[in-house]
Amino acid sequence: MKQHLQRQSGVANVDVSLIDGKVEITPKEDGQIEPAQLLKATYDSGVSVSELDMTVSGKIVKDSTGNLSLQVKPNQSFVPTPNELSKGLEPLVDSGTVVTVRGQLYKKPAGKQKKADISAPLKLLILEVKKDR
Amino acid sequence: MKREHLALLLLAGCVFVPQLEAQIRHVEMRVEGMT
Repeated sequence: MKQHLQRQSGVANVDVSLIDGKVEITPKEDGQIEPAQLLKATYDSGVSVSELDMTVSGKIVKDSTGNLSLQVKPNQSFVPTPNELSKGLEPLVDSGTVVTVRGQLYKKPAGKQKKADISAPLKLLILEVKKDR
Repeated sequence: MKREHLALLLLAGCVFVPQLEAQIRHVEMRVEGMT
């Protein structure tokens, strides 16, 4: 699985802890990492993902449908799951302010479902907001 | 001449730094079934 993940674009380093089942991925400085691809690569290597958290910096914009979105690159953005923290980001829409947030992008559904649907669009549940500038 | 170069360097820094800031900084996964 580690080799599988290291082959993904934008990945600089992968740390795997067998004891607590934790996988830490460090992106390349100038690379573009695609979390959905990381999920797929992990499942493809025969390992099930129970949770994917990430720390991401980006600008708050509204997409074409009027939804709040955290834009990282012109071709990469994440729609936050509405909560108190995402509401607090609304005043920053189109302000150009770069915010850093920690959030949960994926959580395996509870129950006996054998394989989670990782093809569905991923929403970012914001857990913590850190304003950069 | 040196001041011009310095000014250009600062200008380039202002243009590129905000773009570099926007990025995924860290990803952490909890996995099951790992051997």
